Amino acid sequence: MIKKVTLTVTSLVGLLAATSFAAEKTYVFGIVAKSNNNPVFQAAKTGAEDEAKKLSQEHGVNIKIDWRTPNEEDPQKQVQAIEQLVNAGASGIAVSCSDANKLTDAINTAVDKGVPVVCFDSDAPKSKRLADFGTDDIDCGHKVMEQLAKEMGGKGVVAILAGNQNAPNLQKRVQGVKEVAKNYPDIKILDTFYHKETPQDAAAEVEQVMQAHPEVTGWAMVGGWPLFTDNALKFAPGTVKVVAVDALPAELGYLRDGHVQVLLAQQVYEWGTKSVDMLYDKAADHKNPPSSFVKGDLIPITKDNVDEFAKNWEKWLPKK
Amino acid sequence: MSSPLRLNFSKFPEGGLIVVIVVLGILLSIFGGEVQRPKMMVGPDGHLTRAMEKDASGEENPAFVKVNNFFNAETLTQIAKDTSFFAIMAVGITIVIITAGIDLSVGSVYALSAVGGAMFMNQFGSSGGPWCAVGGVLVTILVALICGALNGIMIVGFNVHPFIITLGTMAIYRGIAFVLTNGQSIGGFPQDFRDFVRQGVIGDLSLVPLIVMILVCIVGGIFLARMAIGRKVYAIGGNETASRYSGIRVARVKLLAYIISGGTAGIAAVLALGYYGAASSGDGQGYELTVIAGAVVGGASLFGGKGSALGAVLGAIILQMIATGIVIIGIPQSYSQIVTGVVVITAVLLDQFNRWISDRRLLAQTAHIKKEVVQATDTPVSVN
Repeated sequence: MIKKVTLTVTSLVGLLAATSFAAEKTYVFGIVAKSNNNPVFQAAKTGAEDEAKKLSQEHGVNIKIDWRTPNEEDPQKQVQAIEQLVNAGASGIAVSCSDANKLTDAINTAVDKGVPVVCFDSDAPKSKRLADFGTDDIDCGHKVMEQLAKEMGGKGVVAILAGNQNAPNLQKRVQGVKEVAKNYPDIKILDTFYHKETPQDAAAEVEQVMQAHPEVTGWAMVGGWPLFTDNALKFAPGTVKVVAVDALPAELGYLRDGHVQVLLAQQVYEWGTKSVDMLYDKAADHKNPPSSFVKGDLIPITKDNVDEFAKNWEKWLPKK
Repeated sequence: MSSPLRLNFSKFPEGGLIVVIVVLGILLSIFGGEVQRPKMMVGPDGHLTRAMEKDASGEENPAFVKVNNFFNAETLTQIAKDTSFFAIMAVGITIVIITAGIDLSVGSVYALSAVGGAMFMNQFGSSGGPWCAVGGVLVTILVALICGALNGIMIVGFNVHPFIITLGTMAIYRGIAFVLTNGQSIGGFPQDFRDFVRQGVIGDLSLVPLIVMILVCIVGGIFLARMAIGRKVYAIGGNETASRYSGIRVARVKLLAYIISGGTAGIAAVLALGYYGAASSGDGQGYELTVIAGAVVGGASLFGGKGSALGAVLGAIILQMIATGIVIIGIPQSYSQIVTGVVVITAVLLDQFNRWISDRRLLAQTAHIKKEVVQATDTPVSVN
């Protein structure tokens, strides 16, 4: 009797183990964003981790996210991260490129070694990446300037805040801003101002420009960096019009108090979810995305809809 | 009599670093576990392609191979490649540190020289031949040497502390790079040059950066240990006043040290141009910390008079192994800077402790000699 029970139990345990072994396939997706210092990428990380959990439950697999973002923007470190992920046997890689020129070879080598790569936010268009999910950056620049021109009544002096001068996505946004500005003869572009992509450096840049150029009546911020600090905009609300890209929680206060007129929200959470979706489809089912560019829409946030929009962040940011 | 089993590091101080590297390697091999990697093979066209295997039902699937996460050819090659840029610069900065100087501008020199070479090669594009690449390499190194020379001239000419001068040039050189590039990344180099730097030396293992690092280490070692000028570098770092009084041309030797520091940044920039295929004004930001850390971990004393080329390379290897180890073991990236900082401080404290021990030993020996002289001559002797 004891022997039979033991045999049954052992068989059951063995069957369970075998079943779990058979069903529990593991996928490791590496995410290499530009820097840990930029909060937009924390939302992407949350999106990736949430989507990994969701797909794991749906398909009975184990999807792990390996976050390999450098602490500060450094394309060389991103190349190293991609190479390390390939050596560590990653099933797929998602990358937001600090410098497309430098990352193209590393992406191509990864793809040649059988590791699918997708881009988000900032593309490497000449690489063998599967697809890019993100904002159409020229269109983004157009929208920033269109909204700003509307707020400024079609006249004034505009300064462009542009972050990392080497980032191709930001360069395209600046290009878009300048293209639309040409349609407004009474609007003059003062200059494009670059800075290290930390909130403090961005806020300091804005302050320096305003002190040196009090004639500025509008800011086209192709990223929302300074708005992650308190009191970044020292002018009276509404005296200088501001339109910025991204609408993270820290920035929304500026909309409410009138310092900023419009925030164009990128789908930063979807950077993570979409990347994991595309990588899983490729790794598990060998399916390519329908297009090599998957566009993420920009959502204009104003004082009127800021509170409704703010509720989304409870889901999108890392839980503490 | 010392036991044959006791390790004597006094004659080979870098031996301790090699032990640390071996121990780190063993720990990473044990705790890194195994990974599953796509199996590659050489296809009929001579290029690497995925190997396939048939499963039980006869269906072909991509094959995988299990390897130790740390101890495999690709990971070791990658560590060597990633180390090489810093190690090469660490050899140059070690020479500066031995003179009791410092060079905070190495990262900016790296960027500006890379930009100079990139702008030259970009004019010829990817179809530019080997001579365009040679020209690009020469431009890169020339720009780096000029930057190093300017540092040295200002330090010895104005008699200002190297910290101040190189802090200023750190901003100036990077600013020049930004103005020249207008913030753009510059690529489009002769393909021959890229292929040469990235070529697989053994299989598809890219070993050119490692080979260059070894060559720089050998040349640096010969310079410091076997040449008269190298001995002068140590003498100045040990006691600059005594060196001056003994006829050493201190200003010239210091100038040479900064030129070499610039030159090694240029060599690292050449490798980066070939490997990464682009240059921008943002390159090398913060690299001065890693390079100085590598030199100090490798035994260079910030007080001067101590250090070696081999130590610089081994120090850089240890730092890179720690950085890679953090990734392999799965510690969050955000801790990597903390770990690097702790390692640097520990290395400096150990260096200070070592100096304190040496000073006390010297004092004890001096007291012993004084006692013997007093006993022999019966005359009080004061020794300062």
